[in-house]
Amino acid sequence: MSEREVEVAVEEELLLPRETLLSAGVHIGTRIKTKDMELFTYRVRPDGLFVLDVKKTDERIRTAAKFLSRFEPSKIVVVASRLYGQQPVRKFCELTGAIPIEGRFAPGLFSNPLHPERIEPDVVIVTDPRADKQAVEEAAAVGIPVIALCSTDNEFSGVDLVIPTNNKGRRSLAAVYWLLAQQVLKERGELALDQSLSVPLEEFEAKLESKE
Amino acid sequence: MGPLSDASAARGPLLLTVSMPVCTSCNRLIQPGARAVKFNCPNCGEMTIWRCPKCRKFGRQYKCLKCGFVGP
Ligand SMILES: [Zn+2]
Ligand SMILES: [Zn+2]
Repeated sequence: MSEREVEVAVEEELLLPRETLLSAGVHIGTRIKTKDMELFTYRVRPDGLFVLDVKKTDERIRTAAKFLSRFEPSKIVVVASRLYGQQPVRKFCELTGAIPIEGRFAPGLFSNPLHPERIEPDVVIVTDPRADKQAVEEAAAVGIPVIALCSTDNEFSGVDLVIPTNNKGRRSLAAVYWLLAQQVLKERGELALDQSLSVPLEEFEAKLESKE
Repeated sequence: MGPLSDASAARGPLLLTVSMPVCTSCNRLIQPGARAVKFNCPNCGEMTIWRCPKCRKFGRQYKCLKCGFVGP
């Protein structure tokens, strides 16, 4: 018998099944698309919403985890000024040993040597480079790299590594920080490659005050 | 900056060889004390990426020469 070439559907390997990512709304952008984010944008929906390419989100979570695993855990700072980012950031830091900064970013926290609670991180993650502008600016002042969760409406000013994702949604932020935590632990060798995070994804979600 | 000939070195000011970092995006020298950033390539960790204040501010792309990773 001779050989014949056949097309085989290859299962795509994402960190979470595509359906899980999509149901968390990781791909949902905004009605604005910046030039910077063009590379990560998949298409525009008929209702005018720009949609992100989840394959790229997945890729960048892996890259960011590799990058982060080369830093001392206590030298990683994670910033979330907006409400929905705070619980995921808290949980991420709890599991990885990073330092969370929730809510208002006190001016001078990185850059003012006289600040009473001054921190000197080696790398910073911001949940939204616009909402967390103060942190991005201070990282520039002290010369440390910035990883940023970016949606379709963000710009790359001051950002060294982009994770394209919906950075406003409650469930989306939970999914991305959950995946990032898991991947960082795997890169550090603290979690087996075939294992998943011991903490369920739901624990990363900001709680709602009233019913959804 | 090539090596100086003995003759010009004898007449000119004393020159020291210093190595200054070059921005990975624009290839310009980064002046000491500039608000630049350096980090190892996020992907392979092998090449040192330097970004000058301008390239960083304008979000210009950088490329790792070891693995081809393009950021930011
Ligand atoms: Zn430059
Ligand atoms: Zn590289």
